[in-house]
Amino acid sequence: MTWATPTLAALVAAIAIPALVILYFLKLRRIPREVSSTLLWKKAIQDLQANAPFQRLRKNLLLFLQLIVLALIILALAQPRSASTSSAGRKYILMLDRSASMAAVDGNETLGKASRLEEAKKQAVELVETMRTPSMFSQGEKADEAMVIAFDANAEIIASFTSDPKELIDAINSINQTDAPSSIAEAYRLAQAQRPNRIVNATNEAGVITESHELDELKGGEPYFFHLFSDGRVSDIDEVRADEIDTQTTFEYHAIGSQTSNNIGLVALRSERDYDAPSKLSIFVGVQSTDTIARTVDAELMIDGVIRSVRSIDLPPAIVDATTSTKTPSSGGVIFELNEPNGIIAGVKLATTGDENPEADVLLSDNEGTLVVPPAKQAAVALVSAGDLFVHSAIQGLPLSRFDTITPSAYEAGRSNGDNDAYDLFIFDGYLPKPDENGTILDPGRYLVIGKVLPPPLGVVDNGVGPGGPIIDWRRTHPVLRDLTLDALLMAETPIVEIPKGSGVVSLAETASGPAILETSDTDIRAILVPFAITKTNWPFDVSFVVFLASAVDYLGTGSIVDIDIDERQITPGRVLSDRIPPDATGVRVLMPDGSRSEEIIPSADGRIVFGPITTDGIYRLRWRGTAGPTDIVEDGTNYRTFAANLLDPAESNVSTMKTIALANQLVTAESLTERKRIRDWWPWFLGAALAILMFEWYIYNKKMYL
Amino acid sequence: MLRSENPTRPTTIEELLSSSLIAKISQLDVSSRKIFAGKLKGERRSKKRGESVEFADHRPYTTGDDLRHIDWNIYARLDRFFMKLFMEEEDLSLHIVIDASASSDCGEPNKFYYMQQVAMAMGYIGLINLNRVEVTAVGLRDELVVPGGEKSIAGNIRDLRGRRRTHDLARFLCTLEPEGSTDFAQACKRIAMTRRGKGVMIVLSDFLMKEGYETGLRLLVGRGYDVFAIQTLSPQEVNPDIAGDLQLRDIEDGDMAEVTISAPLLKKYKENLSAYCQGLCDFCARREITALTIQTDTPIDTLLLDYLRKRGVLR
Repeated sequence: MTWATPTLAALVAAIAIPALVILYFLKLRRIPREVSSTLLWKKAIQDLQANAPFQRLRKNLLLFLQLIVLALIILALAQPRSASTSSAGRKYILMLDRSASMAAVDGNETLGKASRLEEAKKQAVELVETMRTPSMFSQGEKADEAMVIAFDANAEIIASFTSDPKELIDAINSINQTDAPSSIAEAYRLAQAQRPNRIVNATNEAGVITESHELDELKGGEPYFFHLFSDGRVSDIDEVRADEIDTQTTFEYHAIGSQTSNNIGLVALRSERDYDAPSKLSIFVGVQSTDTIARTVDAELMIDGVIRSVRSIDLPPAIVDATTSTKTPSSGGVIFELNEPNGIIAGVKLATTGDENPEADVLLSDNEGTLVVPPAKQAAVALVSAGDLFVHSAIQGLPLSRFDTITPSAYEAGRSNGDNDAYDLFIFDGYLPKPDENGTILDPGRYLVIGKVLPPPLGVVDNGVGPGGPIIDWRRTHPVLRDLTLDALLMAETPIVEIPKGSGVVSLAETASGPAILETSDTDIRAILVPFAITKTNWPFDVSFVVFLASAVDYLGTGSIVDIDIDERQITPGRVLSDRIPPDATGVRVLMPDGSRSEEIIPSADGRIVFGPITTDGIYRLRWRGTAGPTDIVEDGTNYRTFAANLLDPAESNVSTMKTIALANQLVTAESLTERKRIRDWWPWFLGAALAILMFEWYIYNKKMYL
Repeated sequence: MLRSENPTRPTTIEELLSSSLIAKISQLDVSSRKIFAGKLKGERRSKKRGESVEFADHRPYTTGDDLRHIDWNIYARLDRFFMKLFMEEEDLSLHIVIDASASSDCGEPNKFYYMQQVAMAMGYIGLINLNRVEVTAVGLRDELVVPGGEKSIAGNIRDLRGRRRTHDLARFLCTLEPEGSTDFAQACKRIAMTRRGKGVMIVLSDFLMKEGYETGLRLLVGRGYDVFAIQTLSPQEVNPDIAGDLQLRDIEDGDMAEVTISAPLLKKYKENLSAYCQGLCDFCARREITALTIQTDTPIDTLLLDYLRKRGVLR
């Protein structure tokens, strides 16, 4: 048993006990009476005292009871509590892993086994209960404080530093499971950010501080005691650096879950259309097993919710390291091939249920995956040219649904009779359409303008030509330019163009004289501008020219890239859902996998929306009213765009708990599961006993049973 | 038990002895289990053969006997001289000892007043029956009250005889003031030494003496006196009506006793009182002293006509 405020109690006792005794004697001022003889009275008292056990105490039973009451109150003031292993004034950081692997249920759920997150919460609550709480009367003594951080791919402070156990326990219990992979680095940075910066003082020869400044990189203040509640499957655990105090680490690892638990999970899922025959769709499924025996699982392919195919996957046994008993998971896979020109939602499900061993597949959330496969769309392209061979021959080799070369006059005629609507993309090679009566040069549509300068408002200001030279910089992440290098491009004369202020024109590549490749967009128009003449460069002879044209046709003509890996429609839980929708969209909401709807999302001016971070696997549907994009589904005037969130993380699917984790500076082994001593405050019992004795005293006083 | 706040102090004979009581007790006489020799010829038979009219015995004639007392009838029958002996009547000493210490001045009705009344009544009975009445007040005084006496004697009146001395007795009793402590043994020693003749001695006291009553009573026994001990207690002494945390002060010696009145304490007190009274009775019984415990709320006539007659003090 320890005491929270022993000094206070001693002080009160020193004052109150003598005071009570004095008061008692004052209270007992006896009434003097004269009697004929005290002979018999003295004899009676002597007889009574001689017969009574504890005669001294019984003589002053009321005083005795009052002393007991006072002693109990003083003991309550000292705030006795059961012994605690922790020392006062510590700052704890409780980091709870809520990533996908924490959903694993080690053992049989029907036998009362809870998920790892529930177990982690339980252990964290137990830790909070052992914390030294603030004592009621002592101001000087520090209580333990704790901060709760939940992390998956992101980190969130659930409760900032507080010593209120109830607040902490409520915060811990409010943590929800996610399907995101785990990353502790952000959680660690969040915790470290709370610490004050270390201040470095410069001193002169006399030892007087002359200058002091804070160092952002070095953290000072009290040490933090980290408690990590996790299964150890944290990819970037080696970014955490634990402090040491007196050779004792301040980082404690609470291993949740079982080392022998096995799991079979989807770790890869992607689709690919054949480049030449886009209706041929291949879906690749990668499966990982941590079971030490060979397993065979069935993979079910569902297209739009209907099972299309079932294939068996043989999984070899996982390899167990004899010394460290760590497992290296085995992997297997299957490819589903189907002929599907339309856009589909493909689901893959691993049938592992029905296994007798409850620990054969402890994590169920990684057994399913979804893919959003866009339709096999190929663009219809018209080249409006006076007869340049370079562009024509380069476009001709691309897989397009339709490719026509039309003359400028035919284009002008098509503008009025509607023939131009048959094309997704127009390539203007050394030509610009004539402005109509409104001054509009480009009709709504997609354009690649080569060799001509498109004037404002949509285009740029032409300032002539410069001396020539190479491309010195380009946006390597832009879909049109990311697959190529422009190092080899040399121009005989560089265009000198100026982007008008406030216009939507973006420079994609630059020469020393200014922008060389630009992108412009309007509500209905999107165009890539190449203002220099191809013929005055060495570009047509470089492979990057063909790649540029192919990417530009892909980007402008189809609006999406067929390869699923780079599709923005695939998101990983823990990341945000971000996309661009037409700027006139209203009532933007996200329909969750569980059927609920998000709050309304307000898109930015250019139609960009951000939602999330996404926490669970499944299909997310973005819905809005207004203009639909080319790949969007329109139902009853509402537009839908589908996103699939999949975990697909081999590290998360490897669920066997790590007993030892390697930090940046030390190895931390999970603490043995000794039961922590829970702090219990006893002072209410002492106060209750004091009250009971007080009532007993009152009873005695009224009954005159004393002496 | 507590000191009387306004004790009755009699000033006239009427307060000590009411006419109604006189009427009731006029026929009574002091009785003795022994027949005592007295100084004067009174109305009491003496062990001595004397000149009364009551025949006692015969004895053979010896030379010098008064010829007037020869029983000539016996001489006629037996031809021998026999003297006729008669009972001689003698007066009786009635010695009343009254406790005039401060402890007597307690209770309601006041113990001392009660003892005064009893002494007056007994003395009156003695006087009208031509007994020699002597009253001695016992109480330690600072100065000598009785010339040539003791400090333990608070007053004395002796050799009263006849109805006309009733007022002298009353006056004496009225002058007594209960105060101071007692030296009962010393007082009794003095009484035993100075008393004359034989007779009846009545001791009126509460007998609550710290030094003990035994020595004193033992000295009074013998020398031909028939001793009666009348223990007078107030009702408050028998059933104390006090409560709370008290500091009890002995009225005589100032001794303190701090008590917290409780049921067990009261029970113990009563047990002790009962044992004390019983102890007095037992002590007296062993020494042929007639002991009687009386409460001051008992009417005087009940005491005289009932209790004392039953015990043979009066007849």
